Amino acid sequence: MSISNSGFQRKSKASDQIPSSSMADIAFLLLIFFMITTVFREEQERPIEWPEAQATQQIDEKRQNVLYVWVERTGQVWMNDQQIPMEMVSNLVAPAWIESGRRLVISLRADARAPYRYIDAVQNEIRDGGAVYVVFATDLERRMTRERR
Amino acid sequence: MAILNKKSKITDEIPSSSMADIAFLLLVFFLVTTVFPKDRGLRIVLPEQAEEVEISQRNILHINIMPDGLVRIRRGDSQNEQTVSPRDVEGIWRIEVAQNPNLIAGVKTHPDAEHRLMIQVLDGLQVAGAERISLQLLEG
Repeated sequence: MSISNSGFQRKSKASDQIPSSSMADIAFLLLIFFMITTVFREEQERPIEWPEAQATQQIDEKRQNVLYVWVERTGQVWMNDQQIPMEMVSNLVAPAWIESGRRLVISLRADARAPYRYIDAVQNEIRDGGAVYVVFATDLERRMTRERR
Repeated sequence: MAILNKKSKITDEIPSSSMADIAFLLLVFFLVTTVFPKDRGLRIVLPEQAEEVEISQRNILHINIMPDGLVRIRRGDSQNEQTVSPRDVEGIWRIEVAQNPNLIAGVKTHPDAEHRLMIQVLDGLQVAGAERISLQLLEG
């Protein structure tokens, strides 16, 4: 046993270990591969005035499970970079709600000065579409700005 | 001259074995310092479709938001209305909920009131720790 073992060791001395000098190269290759294949979903932002709130918190939901609904001051509703009539919101929310496995979070990005009637209408449409998780998109309000006003 | 050459033979090149480590260090640094703009806002959960719950008037705090920026607060079982600014809602809620832990905030907003007024009230309620909030349109 010991004799054959020593014989083997002597023969394979050169290729004893996996070469670790190219490990960094492999890691970089994987890194670059994933960097290139990752696609961020980008949506054009509508020009709105953001409402401010102190209780603003981060949404910990995957980006693909977040649906943006923009409501402008005039009551125009924008989704997926196009303006849509108010009655169509539920038709767009329903399939997204199913697709997300009932986890869809609607980020309601409404202008601070939009009359509430539109916000209420959108909420009703979201309910009709079956979704229940809504986030009123706000900017974090700082104490200083609050006191200054 | 020959003696000098012999001395500096060892440190001839810049060591390249640690280059990968430096690259990784830079990579990790930028990974940590990069901040993606995340979605943020005030969370609420809408009631499910056709979900109507009867609530005793005693447990409701009516908060009516008017288009002029004032807020009218009325306790469910009383007729007294109190007109306050949206900033005062937080303090009022804290006082009211201390007296009745089952309290529900019934926020009704006038159709012409600006969205930010509702956000201010909702913000005040959430800062004060309110969890049971109902958002409705003020009718009549």
